[in-house]
Parts: sequence; structure tokens; C-alpha cells
Amino acid sequence: MATPIIMPRQGISVETCIITEWHKKKGDRVEVGDVLFSYETDKASFEEEAKEAGVLLEIFFEADQEVPVLIPIGVIGEPGEDITPFLPENMAQGQAADAAAPGGAGGADPAADAGAAAGAGASPAQVLSAGEIKISPRARNLAKKHHVDLRSAVPTGPEGRIIERDVHKLVETGPKVTAAAEAEYAVLDRPVAGTGIGGRVTTEDLQKAAAGPGAAVDFAPGGATAEGPQIPAVIEYQDQPLSNIRKLIAKAMHQSLVNSAQLTLNASFDATAILEYRKQLKAGQEGLGLENITINDLILFAVARTLVSYPALNAHFFDDTLRVFKNVHLGIAVDTDRGLMVPTLFDANLKSLNQLAKQAKRLISQAKAGSISPDELQGGTFTVTNLGTLGIESFTPILNPPQTGILGVCAIEYKVRPAESGYAHYPAMTLSLTIDHRAVDGAPAAQFLQELKQNLENFPLLLAK
Amino acid sequence: MPKSQFVSPEEVRQKDFIKFQDIPVNQYNKTIKEEKANYSKEDFLRIYRDMVYIREFETMLNLIKTTGAYNEVEYNYPGPAHLSIGQEASAVGQAYLLGVEDYIFGSHRNHGEIIAKGLSAIHKLSEDELLEIMKEYWGGSTFAVVEKANPNASVKELAVDFLLYGALAEIFGRVTGFNLGMGGSMHAFFLPFGIYPNNAIVGGSGPIATGAALFKKANRKKGVVIANLGDGSMGCGPVWESLNFAAMEQYRELWDDEFKGGLPIIFNFFNNFYGMGGQTFGETMGYRELARVAAGVAVNQMHAERVDGYDPLAVIDAYRRKLSVITEQKDGPVFLDVITYRFSGHSPSDASSYRTKEELDAWMAADPIVGYRQKLVDAKIADEAAFAEIDEKIKATMFKIYKLAIDPEISPRADLDKNPDFIGDMMFSNAKVEKFDDRPCDVLIPKEENPRIQQIQKKVRVGVEDGKPVSKARALQLRDALFEAILNKFYTDPTLIAYGEDNRDWGGAFAVYRGLTESLPYHRFFNAPISEAAIAGSAVGYGLCGGRVIAELMYCDFLGRAGDEVFNQMSKWQSMSGGLLKMPVVLRVSVGSKYGAQHSQDWTSLCAHIPGLKVVFPVTPYDAKGLMNAALSGTDPVVFFESQRIYDIGEMFHLEGVPEGYYEVPIGEPDIKKQGKDITILTVGATLYRALDAAKILEEKWGLSAEVIDARTIVPFNYEKVLESVKKTGRILLSSDACERGSHLKDMAQTISELAFDYLDAPPVVVGARNWITPAHEYEKYFFPQPEWIIDAIHEKILPLDGHTAATNWTRNEQLRRQKYGV
Repeated sequence: MATPIIMPRQGISVETCIITEWHKKKGDRVEVGDVLFSYETDKASFEEEAKEAGVLLEIFFEADQEVPVLIPIGVIGEPGEDITPFLPENMAQGQAADAAAPGGAGGADPAADAGAAAGAGASPAQVLSAGEIKISPRARNLAKKHHVDLRSAVPTGPEGRIIERDVHKLVETGPKVTAAAEAEYAVLDRPVAGTGIGGRVTTEDLQKAAAGPGAAVDFAPGGATAEGPQIPAVIEYQDQPLSNIRKLIAKAMHQSLVNSAQLTLNASFDATAILEYRKQLKAGQEGLGLENITINDLILFAVARTLVSYPALNAHFFDDTLRVFKNVHLGIAVDTDRGLMVPTLFDANLKSLNQLAKQAKRLISQAKAGSISPDELQGGTFTVTNLGTLGIESFTPILNPPQTGILGVCAIEYKVRPAESGYAHYPAMTLSLTIDHRAVDGAPAAQFLQELKQNLENFPLLLAK
Repeated sequence: MPKSQFVSPEEVRQKDFIKFQDIPVNQYNKTIKEEKANYSKEDFLRIYRDMVYIREFETMLNLIKTTGAYNEVEYNYPGPAHLSIGQEASAVGQAYLLGVEDYIFGSHRNHGEIIAKGLSAIHKLSEDELLEIMKEYWGGSTFAVVEKANPNASVKELAVDFLLYGALAEIFGRVTGFNLGMGGSMHAFFLPFGIYPNNAIVGGSGPIATGAALFKKANRKKGVVIANLGDGSMGCGPVWESLNFAAMEQYRELWDDEFKGGLPIIFNFFNNFYGMGGQTFGETMGYRELARVAAGVAVNQMHAERVDGYDPLAVIDAYRRKLSVITEQKDGPVFLDVITYRFSGHSPSDASSYRTKEELDAWMAADPIVGYRQKLVDAKIADEAAFAEIDEKIKATMFKIYKLAIDPEISPRADLDKNPDFIGDMMFSNAKVEKFDDRPCDVLIPKEENPRIQQIQKKVRVGVEDGKPVSKARALQLRDALFEAILNKFYTDPTLIAYGEDNRDWGGAFAVYRGLTESLPYHRFFNAPISEAAIAGSAVGYGLCGGRVIAELMYCDFLGRAGDEVFNQMSKWQSMSGGLLKMPVVLRVSVGSKYGAQHSQDWTSLCAHIPGLKVVFPVTPYDAKGLMNAALSGTDPVVFFESQRIYDIGEMFHLEGVPEGYYEVPIGEPDIKKQGKDITILTVGATLYRALDAAKILEEKWGLSAEVIDARTIVPFNYEKVLESVKKTGRILLSSDACERGSHLKDMAQTISELAFDYLDAPPVVVGARNWITPAHEYEKYFFPQPEWIIDAIHEKILPLDGHTAATNWTRNEQLRRQKYGV
């Protein structure tokens, strides 16, 4: 009976072998123990001996062919015997070993404590603390480049982190900020819808937003009874988170009082001259464009011109240095919807009244609009703050460190003084000068006030100087 | 394993007794009168002089350590001083007959041996030879010091000054020392006098000296190697391994006639009866007499003897006979138990709490210098005045040398402020040497007739053809690529030898060496005993003698068995020699899988941690051949990692095919295996292929294109390509089969964090194997990084993937928990 010659399996991991040489030809008679063929695996060479005697009836694979293990590669028998059952194509399928990838296929057995998929929610950027946002360095750099508002980013990174793709998305869809609005927007405590080109947030949007939510809070009165202690059942209140600018102001004001020695001097002057001069300006020819010069402008002018003679008041005080400035860079305190802002009128002492007035007007309006450049919100050497329009008669302005002086301007009151016959009344305006006593003593400060008073009372002479 | 040797059941099962020969103990018994035939008066006196040089040198160091001054000149030396006061006769007796072609290797207690061997060499070398040696050494800077200080001295006198000064300046860490001050007291050596590295690790010189003897034998070099070891080192495994390695029967039975005979080495145990404070006689050892050990090592009992090391003439007598055993009878190795005793402590801080004053007094009464002098006086060789004159002269010389060595102007230290890379530049020699000798290579057949080469020629040299993988049997495999590089070097560099367990006949456990046996005689390619310390350590000795060697440890896990040899010896000798020595050693280690906890570990990180080792891990045939070629052309030790998962893999990346000719892949350059733009995956080792699978999943499921970089080398490593990639992708995941904790990938991740911080969209994430034992193969998918792990880690830590639910746990809490419990 014919017997197949099987390609042996040399080792559990061997799938195929290469026949290197047949030592018998088809038709040769073989005895048990005769070497039939040589073959090799990738590690070693072997020889296969005949296990049956007979004639080598057929060879299915020639030398140098690669053969799967455990399949017939030839047949031994007697001439005439049927070899078809052993033909490779008739053998059962699936002899080929299932090739396992090195390392084994990693089955994904669901672990019981499988981690939750992160980043699915669309909550806004996680704020670690005021102004800090959890974001990758790469995403931060990208956001900077595109002027996008990170507070509008929807973080999809692990643990609520804004990652690069979130910024890309924001660049495509989310609010962007105009360059003019960026500085102010950066300190705002909430996102704002943009109406500018491509949905950019503009300075106008910021103004609207500032006047918007959180402004009006109604405190409902408690139930009142006619007599006895009236303690409301519920004390109603609302916690209003401070805006960043409010926080900055709060901090600056407190620091100012803590870190300097403030002394306020008050003096009033006869405002007749400046009121008269203002009247003339108003009545002047329209073409000159001087009609818009205000009383405040006249005061600013006088302060700038007077300060030049008092270097210690046009200065910055540091612990071991007094930095004295050549020119007067006048800070102008402006009340805005977002809080106090102090734009700087540079080189105020060098400007004509008209130039100064125009600059001041622009600075005040930009400060109120929120469109002022951050560069113009610093560098002041002395500040003027005017509460006179609100009827204040005297106050104690707080220094804007490291400046050494701040002048408060109060309302016009009418005072009397002895006249040739009895008393005469005259318009008087009070000036409240706060100084840093560390830098300046009381007497020189008083001298400054005195000279300022003289200049204001003789304004046309000052103009002529 | 050789088929020529028959293990006959009939023979080995027969009744018999193993018989030992008597081991001579202190049998020397000659009088001075008898010895006059062997020594002239000058010889007798020179032996005395050399002993006194050692005594004074060591006394000087002892005074500096204990009183802070020598001859009232103060000096503070905080370093080690393992002194050999009392042991002078054994050192001088040993060196007396040795020539410069005979190498000594020693221990931490080596000053005496250096001085004895140096004085012996100076005596034997001509003045011209000495001048040439001294003028060439470090460009003559050491010589210039002694020459300037002593302009009228003779060449031989200068040479003695040079020897003492070079050694002392080295001990004091001066740049004029023998090894630029980089070796110090326990590591000083001076090759031109045959003084080879001394070792601060007890027994450390055992395997290294064995390798030096192997170098001499395999390269037909003259001379004998002396392994100077202490009796305490007989407790060290590597010393036992070395004894056997040197005595293997194959040298006699299997090596070609010209090379027959054991290794030309004398294991010289200076037996002072203490290993630090542990008393080897009666307390910490079982041998009672050290010489007894040798009887069990080899049939010839290693010609073992116990010799009286308190009599220089007895030691010389023993050496005269033993050197002839090696050079004439070719019957090494030899084992000598030279008894001696140190008067000084183990070190100056030693309070000698382990021995009695009576014992010390008894040995001091037998002082070898006093005793020898008395014998010469009694025999009327010289009178007391002659000896006193020698003593005085030596004291004067020593004081002069001392003042030179402590003078910061004359003997400066290296200025690391001016030259901050002074030590860094010594860590690697970074040279290219095609071959270390020009002689023809000993081979058995022409290269093209090698059967493996013929077999490889039939193979396809790429792993992918027309987009389809080539079957493993037809493709040129990684193991074939390694073979091509190695075989080529065997036909290029005649000094190259290779050994390890099951290398010859078997062809290495993973068939890399299959076909090598047919090409190479035994003396270039042989089977080592299962002695990883001796395998790695002898490779160190072979390499530092100037030969190229491939040692194989079979499994990476066996590195622990060769810990000292790899981590303290192979890595350090280039720099500890001040750059004098080269270490052209390739240590092949194979990372397993499927075989459980002690056969499946990737220890690249351990090797990367040790300064002075280059570490490579190629995983494609192209890289394997190119890196092996580079490793075999360099002069630095390379730990060459291979992975058993992929010995059969074909070349999947270099589609022009693995070149048949010679090419190198530079050590230190990673390779981008797949371009991409969304995330970088950096792998070490065979994890590359799983990372590529992960990249495929990312592409198919999420349209993300991963850039996959194969580190190829771990030390050195050029980060430029990786950083460029991270700048592009903003994200990186690192993966290898090493356990995650302490993995070198963590080091890489940290470096990338620093250098690419502003470009990162997420912290670099490492996916390593779990901090467990490697479990059985069936559990490996829970242990080794899988493609799915990589996807999950990206999803959880880098870039959440739409609709993906992680199957493995990469959460912060789990990470903290694992760290907390150390798993």
C-alpha cells in the first residue's frame, strides 16, 4: 500500500521548511533508513529517512521549495498504486499553520475598572484659578498667534485640558478679538459675543458687555411691620464676583495706602479768572475750535506748568531712589463703566492749551470707550482727579504709586471775603493735594499749592509765560 | 557537545576512585650558599632593594594617612590606601623573573606589585628602550617632571623615579600620574612595563586576566598572565568561574595542535589570611589550605603549590618552575597559594579588631625584609653598611618623589573649569578600527564556501515583495543579517574571536551563529562554560589587550550574572585608564519572550544607566547588520540587544533590500520607520511592530497619521529627529517591552518634555511592560505593551479619540494606585 512522505515538523514553532535536496529520484527503489531528502528550517538542517521500503512513486515538491510542515511531499509504494489520495490539492485544507503575529494579538478584554472616556463633555475651559486656564503649551502658543479667546474654547483634552485641536476649532468658529480690544478683553471675567469682522469681539462689544448683566440688583425689602424690632426673616443679598479690573483697582488702592505715607493739603483759589477765560473761549470765533476747552483743561494746564518747578512732586519714589522726571506726564483719572482708569497725557508741560485740551479729550473718551492703548495707561508722573463736577467740596485722593503727588479738584463754591464795603462773594474752587510724605515734606507741597493757586488766579499771565 | 567526544555509559558508570596528587606545601629549602649558583651579589642586593622600595612607599602612605605628613611635610590625602607592608617578598619574588611581555593584573592592594614589576622591568629593559617608553608616555609629561628634578641622574635612576612618581601622582589624582589621575590607588597601571589594570572589586581581575591569557593564546602572543588575587576573592563566583574557564579541557582536547594546552595564566593568590577582616583561614572559607581548591578544578590540579611568600627566593623558585610549566609544557593554568601577611590593616582606618597583638608580633618577628637581610649578612653576601646605604638612598628618593607629587604646580590636577569635558571626552574612544592586526585571518574555508552564506544567497533580501510579505523561510531574516556582518568581520579582523554558551556546533541558541563553526577554528570560536561573569569579564581582558571580541550572554536576563563585569569593568576601563585602553567588545544579549519571568526581560535601561556603555537594539535586518558592522568597527564596548521575537523577521522598511556588501548604520541615530503628522510614537526594540499596528488602527479608525520612530540605539542618542517630529506632531508616546518603572523611556520622555515643552500638546506618555514578573506566554498580552494599550493611552492621556472606550486602565487614579503599591 502506498505511503505518503510527510514533511516533518521540527519544533512547535516551525510552520514551513525548505527542501534543500532530494537524494532519491522519482522511480528509485528505497529501503527503510535511506536518506530521502534534506530540508532546513530557519535554525537548522535535517535529513529525512525513508520509513517504508518501496519505490519513490511521486515527488510533489522539488528542491528549494518551501513546504508547510505535516503535508505529503511525495509517495512511496509499489508501481501502479493509486497516489491521488496524497496529492496536495486533495489533502484537507487548513494545514497551513495559523501565523500568529510576533507578540501575539492583543485581545481587548474589557477591564472591569476601565477608565472613563475623557473629554466628551463640552464644558467651558477649566479655570484653575482666576486667569489660569488648563491648556497645553502648544495650544497656548497657537491661541496667541491667532488672538482667540481661550475662555470660549471647548476643551477636549484629557482632564479638561485645552489641546491644539480645540484652538484650531476656535480659530475656525469661535470668537476672536480685535487687536484693539485684546488687552482689555484679556482681563474681563467672562466671554463676550463678537460683532466685528469674522465674529471678532470689538471694543464696542466690550462696552456693551460692561453695561450689561450684573449691573442691576434688586433688593426686595423685608416684610415691614408697624412697630417693634423689624428684623427681616431673610437677609437678601447677591454675591457679585469682582471683575478683574475691579480686583486690580482694589489691590492697587490698598497697596498704595499700605506702602506710602500720605498727607493731604487743602486750599481754595479764586476761580474768577479761569471762569472768565473760559467764557471768552466759548464766545470765541467758531473757526478756532477753542470752544471745547473746559475748566478742567485749564487746571491741567496750570498744574503741568507749575509742576516743572517742583521736581519732587513730578517724580517716582522708590525705597532708595527718587526718580525725577524732566517733563510732566500727567495722569488724568477717569471714571468709566468698568471702573477707574488713569490715562497719561505725556509731555503735558510742553503743550499749548489747545493741544493739551485736545489730547485730554481724546484720552478721556478712549478710556471711557475702553479702546485706549495700554501704553497710554502707564507712565504718569503726577495725577489730577476731578470730582468737582459731582459737587464734592473736599476729599483725600489716593496716590498712584510710585507717583509722589495727586491733585484732587473740587466743585466751585461761593465764598465771601472782606471788600471795600462789607463783603464780596466770589467763586472758589478747592484743591486737595495728596503727597507721599516719604518723598516730599509739607512745606514744599504747600508752596506748590500756593504757586498753583496764584497761576490759576492769574491765568492770562500764566498763558503769557 | 562536540560529536568527536563520546560520553560512554559503560565508562562513566564504572566503579573507581578519583585520585589526587600531593600538593607541595612550602617545600623550598635552599640555602643562600646553594642559591649563589642562581644569583649574583647584585641580584641578591637588588631583591633586597626592591622590597625596601615597597616598604618605604607604603610606610610613606601610611604616615600620610595616619599623621597627615611624611618627613614633617604635610599633605592631606583623603583617598584609599590598601597597604601591603609585610607582603613585599611575595611581590618582589613574583616579579623577579617576569618580563615586560608578562602581564600582571591585581587587586586593590597593588602598590607593591606595581613597584616590584616596574623595578624588574627597568632592570631588564635597555636604557634606550626605557627612554623611548618614558618619552612617549603622555607625550613625555610624566617623565619631564622627574627629569627636571634630577637632571644628572642615569637613565635607570630616572626610570625608578619615573615609576615611583607615576604611581604616586596617580594615587594623588594628579594629571601627571600614570592614568592622568583617573584611576587612583586601586586602579593604577602602566602597560609598557607589563603592569595591567588593578581592580578595586575583589576578584575583579580574575576574569579579566583570564581574558588577557586568552588574548595571548588566540593571537600567538608571547608571555604569561598573572592574576594577582587575594585569598578573600576565593569566595567570589567570578573567580571560580575564571579558574574553570582557564582550565577547560577543550584547550587540550579540541583546539588545533598549535594552540593545545590550557591558558597561559598563573592564578597567584597572595594569601594573607584575611579578606578585609574576615579570616579566610578557619572562619569564612572551608578549604583550610587555599592550594587545595585547585585539585578540584582540573586533572593536573593546576600544578598547585603553597609557597612561602615570606621568603623572596622561595617565590622566585616557584615562579621559575611554574613559568616553565606554561611556556615549555603548555600545561597552564597554574595555581599558587603564596602565603604572606600584612602588618598594616586592611586600610589605615582598620583597628585590627579581628586579630591579636600576639599574632601581629609573631609575623613582625618574621619580617621578610629583616630575615632576608640577616641571611645575606650571615652568608657574607654584604655587610650591614651596604644595606644601610640602600635604605638611606631609598628614603631620600621617596622623599624627593613625595615632594614632587604633592606640588600643585609640578603635579597639577586636571583643570575642569577650563576644560569641562576632560572626563567626558574619555568616556568613549569613538575610534574606527577596521582590524587590530594585519596578519591573515585564521579561517577553515573561503568565505564564499561557507554553507550559511550559500543558503542566504538563495534568499530574498526584502520582507515585502509587490506589497505582499515574503514567507519567513524565503526571506533573509534578522539572524541572517547579523550573521553576514559577523562572518565578514571574522574574515577581516584576525583578532576577532567569539564565544558564549552553545555557540559552536549548535550555532547559538537562536541560530545566529549557524554556519560559523564551518568557517572558524576553535581558537576563534568556541563554547564557553555557563559562566556569564567569566564570559563577559574575559571579553574585557581580551579587549583591553587589543583584540576584538564578541561575547554572548544568550538571554538578557543573564546580565545579572555578569553584573560586575559589565557594569564595573567593561564600562569603566577606557575612562579609568585616562583613555589609554580601548574596549572593542560587543556583548550580544538576547531579549526573550514566552519563557517566563527569568527569560523575558528587556534590561536596556540598566545598561543605559551605567556610564561608559554603548547600548543598541536593532529590530530590522537592515539595522541589525548595519549596527553590528558599526559595533564591530568601533573601539567602545557595545551591549548589543537582540529580540527573540523577531530573529526570523524580514526587512520591511528598506525595500531596496539588505545590501550584500558592507555598510554601517551609525550608532546613536534613531530612524523614522513611518512618516506621519499627528502623533509621534518612539519605540525601543521589537515593540516597533506593535506600534506600527497601533498606527494602522489610528489611521483606519480616526484618520490620524502616526510618525513611528525606532530608537535603534539607546546610548548614545541623537534627539534631533525626535524633537523635529514632536515639533510637527505636538504629541509623543514612547513604548518598549521594558518594565515601565525606571525604564529608559522615562528618561527620554523627560528629556523631550524639557526640549520640546512649548510644542507639546500633551505630556509625553510612556507605555511599558507592567511592573510585574513576566508571566507565562499565554498571559503576555496582559504584560507587554499591545497595540490596544497604545490606542488606549493616547485616548486617555494625549488625544481623546471619538467614540473610543478604553479597555485598559490609564486613568490618573490607576496610575497613582500602581505607584503607591509599587506594581
